[in-house]
Amino acid sequence: MTDLLRRLARTPQGAIGGVIVAFVFLLAAFGPWLAPADPEAFNYTARFEGPGASFLLGTDQFGRDLFSRMLSGAPATVFMAVLSTLLGTLLGAFVGTASAYLGGRADEAIMRVVDAVMAIPSLLFALLIVTALGASSFNAFIAIGIAFAPGMSRVARSVALTVRKHDYVNAAVARGEGAGYIIAREMMPNVIAPIVVEATIRVAFAVMLLATLSFLGLGAQPPSSEWGLMVSESRDYLFRNPWMMIWPGLAIALVAIGFNLLGDGLRDALNPKT
Amino acid sequence: MSTPADTDVPVLAVEGYTLDYLTPTGGLRALEDIDLTIGRGEVLGLVGESGSGKSTLAFAVMRDLARNARERAGAIRLSGADLRTLPGNEIARLRGRRIGMVFQDPGTALNPTITLGTQVAETLVRHHGLDWRDAWKRGTGMLERVGLKTPAAMMARYPHEVSGGEKQRVAIATAFACQPECILFDEPTTALDIITARAILDLFRELQAETGVASLYISHDLALVSEIAHRVAVIHRGRIVEEEPANAIFRTPREDYTRQLIASVPRPDRPLTPPLAPETDAAPALLDLSDISVRYGRPSILKRLFGRSERVVGARDVSFALRPGEILGLVGESGSGKSTIARALVGLNPFEGEIRFAGRTLTGPRDMDQGYRRDVQIIFQHPDSSLNPRQRVEEILARSLILAGTRDRREIAATIGRLLEDVALPADYRRRFPHQLSGGEKQRVAIARAFASRPRLVICDEITSALDVSIQAQIVRLLLDLRERYGTAYLFITHDLNLVRQIAHRLVVMYRGDVVETAPVETVASAPAHVYTRELLGAVPTPVG
Repeated sequence: MTDLLRRLARTPQGAIGGVIVAFVFLLAAFGPWLAPADPEAFNYTARFEGPGASFLLGTDQFGRDLFSRMLSGAPATVFMAVLSTLLGTLLGAFVGTASAYLGGRADEAIMRVVDAVMAIPSLLFALLIVTALGASSFNAFIAIGIAFAPGMSRVARSVALTVRKHDYVNAAVARGEGAGYIIAREMMPNVIAPIVVEATIRVAFAVMLLATLSFLGLGAQPPSSEWGLMVSESRDYLFRNPWMMIWPGLAIALVAIGFNLLGDGLRDALNPKT
Repeated sequence: MSTPADTDVPVLAVEGYTLDYLTPTGGLRALEDIDLTIGRGEVLGLVGESGSGKSTLAFAVMRDLARNARERAGAIRLSGADLRTLPGNEIARLRGRRIGMVFQDPGTALNPTITLGTQVAETLVRHHGLDWRDAWKRGTGMLERVGLKTPAAMMARYPHEVSGGEKQRVAIATAFACQPECILFDEPTTALDIITARAILDLFRELQAETGVASLYISHDLALVSEIAHRVAVIHRGRIVEEEPANAIFRTPREDYTRQLIASVPRPDRPLTPPLAPETDAAPALLDLSDISVRYGRPSILKRLFGRSERVVGARDVSFALRPGEILGLVGESGSGKSTIARALVGLNPFEGEIRFAGRTLTGPRDMDQGYRRDVQIIFQHPDSSLNPRQRVEEILARSLILAGTRDRREIAATIGRLLEDVALPADYRRRFPHQLSGGEKQRVAIARAFASRPRLVICDEITSALDVSIQAQIVRLLLDLRERYGTAYLFITHDLNLVRQIAHRLVVMYRGDVVETAPVETVASAPAHVYTRELLGAVPTPVG
């Protein structure tokens, strides 16, 4: 583990990405307590203010402190993105691994269904699920998880096909293990490691997808300060106070870039040949 | 073997050569104070186990070292001139023209996108300044010289269109094409089948005598090297521990390490297994295969439509029997169907025919219940691949016990302790992951796993061929000990005839999916009935002395 971190820190992408992601996680974990003001307190005397001494990043249309809102919205954005990616990864890994293990006609059937699902763009697919389930943060999380699963299952299957050829899988079959045990205990742990890289990069997409859903009014609901929702709410006041859009936009971009860099770094660090 | 002509300046001389590899944890000494000389027409055999530094030495001579290699001292002289002081472009001109190399795996040594002819001819164009027409003609001649049947057609083929043995012949033709002074052979026959390897060795000897090239022959196989080299140097942990004339090394080894190495080389004339008791001779068979066939692949719909549904045959009508406690050797070259049969026996391949095991009859993998699976265990060739890298040793071993119906945690822990003891591994290894073990230790864990359910038959599928010869000897001794203790029967699959003759009671010889001979070991050795068996026996290098 420490060796992996050292290898990660050796590449510039890994080092920068790691620092950004660590910073973002800290903010997300402690943000609500660090907020200097109540994120939902109105200040009618100080609406649409720019960055200044009393409000670090300015205020919105109700005079709420943008800095406090950003901090309290961090967990809703970052952790939801990570969790929905995790859901998508586990789901996809299981489907892909099972497909590779079963092989033959079952593999063919599963992968063709996955192909069909993948033909729908993930945003559209997530929209579909959210409209079916109703608009809420939890449903957005489920929707993104499911929307990510087909892509992950393709990646997982290709890894699992090579794992399938290893003799430890044959040994398990030979001693009479059931399919469930072989997929979950023998194959999955060996499949997950390589697709961690893919998952890390996808967190960035999840952040953006989540923000998009909230922007469209299908994710988090007011008065939540989820970053995508903040961008969405600022749209009407774009010209009166652009800071309302700039800060959450920048934060989303930072998280996306951080996870992307970390993913690139991990790919190099996990590859023993570099 | 003729003695080489002595000249004053040796063709290749390595003097006091020392090399380190830089690793994240510090320097690692790969070669220390190496002194070697090879004269014209001489073959020096370099023998060592994996990690001993023998390949590093070859790459040092070729001036193709890894980037983290640091040369600390010494010189490498080709006809007197130190290669270490030559600039890069001089080295490039020298490679192939004055010093050649033949690699272990001809499959990766040849470029798959270029025809064989181009690969042979381009060295001639580059180093001898021939134009392509002449180079092509000379190349065709070389291919004919190395014993390829249709050299002109061969020149136009791509590497994937020819067999492994043919590829190695092309690689040898390329190495000899420019008549270099010195050629390095890095395990040129290890990746080949026994009979093909013998043919390549004969070719090597012939070409070597004809051209008088100075050869460094690197191998892990002491028996083979002692047969073809004039002198043999033994390398151990980066040091040359002993250098002797080839015929003396087996008879009068000086160093402990050499003696240990020689003791590990399997000697068919010294059987290790006591003969079966006469009463087991009459006992009913433990395992009886009758007319087992395995076909691979499923015919495509299109082919079935046209009525052509022939499938690849892995094994055809294989029948043999195994008695309780017997060691049955199953030998043959790669692709002969040995592993196919092994996999069918543990339910990894569907099969046609009947398997009778301890009174029960099985006609397919579905008939194999937990009882059968407990009684018949398999150990695979590569321990790296057969142990799950993400499970600790205790988890790997516990699984077989849980499947066998043991639920009590304390009982499982105690049994794991006993199993580790059985295979002579320390008790604290239970907490380790496979990557924290050496190759031999991993194979011991695999053996412990196989013995966890107290099987009556263990199938050993080439279990020692990925291991060094000294480790192989330990593993074989362990297997024989376990058999002594538990009375287990073995189906011992191998291509190493010397080894199997040392331990098996009877041999089954397979050739292209068919069983061609089944007989007691002594009979096979003294009076082989089938042509293929005779050929196989003739191809095996026997230890000199």
